[in-house]
Amino acid sequence: MNKFVPVILIFLLAIFVSIMVGPAQLTSEIIQLRLSRVILGIFAGGILAFCGGVLQGLFGNPLVEPYTLGSASGAALGGSIGILLFGTISPLFAFFGSLGIGFFVFTVARIEGGLLRDRLILAGVVMSFLCSSLVMIIMVMGGRELYEILYLLMGYLGIIINAENRLFIILMIVLSVVLMLFLYRYHRELDIISQGLETAAGLGIDIQKFSVIIFLITSLLIGLTVSLVGAIGFVGLVIPHISKLLFGPKHLYNLPASFILGATFLLLADTVSRIITVYELPVGVVTSLIGVPFFIYLYRK
Amino acid sequence: MFKKLRWLRKIHISCAIFVIYTIFSNCYCDKPSVKPGFKIVSISPAMTEILFALGAGNDIVGVTTFCNYPEEAKGIYKIGDFSNPSIERIVGLKPDLVIVNLPEQMRIKKQLKKLGITIFVSSPKSLNDIYKEIADIGRIVKKERVADSLIHYMKMNIGPSEHKRKKSVYIELSPRPLVTMGAHSFLNEMLEMAGGKNIFSDLNKDYPVVSQEEVIKRNPEIIILLHPGNITDRLAWKKISAIKKDKVYTNLNQDHILRPGPRLVEGFKELQRIIRE
Repeated sequence: MNKFVPVILIFLLAIFVSIMVGPAQLTSEIIQLRLSRVILGIFAGGILAFCGGVLQGLFGNPLVEPYTLGSASGAALGGSIGILLFGTISPLFAFFGSLGIGFFVFTVARIEGGLLRDRLILAGVVMSFLCSSLVMIIMVMGGRELYEILYLLMGYLGIIINAENRLFIILMIVLSVVLMLFLYRYHRELDIISQGLETAAGLGIDIQKFSVIIFLITSLLIGLTVSLVGAIGFVGLVIPHISKLLFGPKHLYNLPASFILGATFLLLADTVSRIITVYELPVGVVTSLIGVPFFIYLYRK
Repeated sequence: MFKKLRWLRKIHISCAIFVIYTIFSNCYCDKPSVKPGFKIVSISPAMTEILFALGAGNDIVGVTTFCNYPEEAKGIYKIGDFSNPSIERIVGLKPDLVIVNLPEQMRIKKQLKKLGITIFVSSPKSLNDIYKEIADIGRIVKKERVADSLIHYMKMNIGPSEHKRKKSVYIELSPRPLVTMGAHSFLNEMLEMAGGKNIFSDLNKDYPVVSQEEVIKRNPEIIILLHPGNITDRLAWKKISAIKKDKVYTNLNQDHILRPGPRLVEGFKELQRIIRE
């Protein structure tokens, strides 16, 4: 696929730009700081877009993304509870929030029986609403924690890296690479399922079991991401669409493309958020601001 | 049929218990004591302190859960917390005056205004604002002379001191995101008087969110943390002058420097001590 060449070039350019551009002069400390930010950005953007692509393929629904399945909202809720209880964010809370809500959505859908796929989406959307109202209760209760919860909800790459979370970040990156490779192995099954459920069942794919595995693993990945950088919106929904526009419906190509495009997009958005004001903007604000016009332009074409 | 009736009776009993509980809780636990004379509700912890310092503490009939000083303030009827005061509780007290803080309590101020309740707005951006508010509230509670002496006492103790060179200071209110203090605050002013220079005094905002890069670039000589936390192990922060020279202070009493009341005097002394060290 020679289409990958320009995409990778743009990706490298985005990395270069985000290291070079910023308010402070380049010293070894600043490079260190920006490099850590770039790594976080690549993984957060990549994971969100990758998971979005996998989920959209699995559910055959263009609206599915980490948000509509409840895992991102669950992670935000968990993180907010952690902030309320301990004053500062603890990644474990967000992680278990995502997993907990994911599991809850899953059991709700399973008890009902019938078609797991449709129920999952409905339950996910419903749980997202529940989570967001619970987060709002916490926001009303909290005093100065408000800022922190706000940045958790909108996503923020400029987090401080210290001895406490350094290990967690490395662990997250290693684990997410493993999990993404595991998901990527199923690209052919995803192709078949997005053709239609009957075909897939006819070809001997156990759709129920397959949905369970994919759903749990993406919940895990989203939980890891949100616990570190917050619930960055838009990337998981739109990047897979763009990737499909460029690379076609084959998951073999469009999943890795989603990862690279998601990472590129988040890096650029973060660079904009860093230089646009002296203040730090949450990157989630910028992703929608520059993403929506771009997306409309691409779709009209 | 019979079974159904028994079920109904259960509901009746629980309803009765609920009703009795509500009546009791309204009559005894929650009802504020009715006081004759001038009644003040203070939704501002600083103003609560000021009123007590003026000797008008007895006029206060309602405070927030944040009003923790002096000891007597803790026993006063609570109308909610600083950001979420309950309008019903305030109105229930039939106050003659409600002290609100802006900009945080804009919503409650509008509601109170609609109800025709007299409001005193507290929104100090500088030390002079604080003195002016003390004088104003002193006039209202008819303690002008005490107010004058309190202002005099504060002015005597919080004043510019001799320094060869101002030291740059970074104040961190929250670690994620990094929230610091901008130009428009009395704390900024106090810092300057104590011989410090806020590294973010160029930002025209009360509490701006800043980036790590910006802090590293501005390289403060002193760091004051107003949250429990450790910053020495942060990636890329090690070369900051304050961290290299071990000038990071964490054990300041926040209420002494963030609350625009009489105890700013103590806060100012703490700041002076830190900067002189």
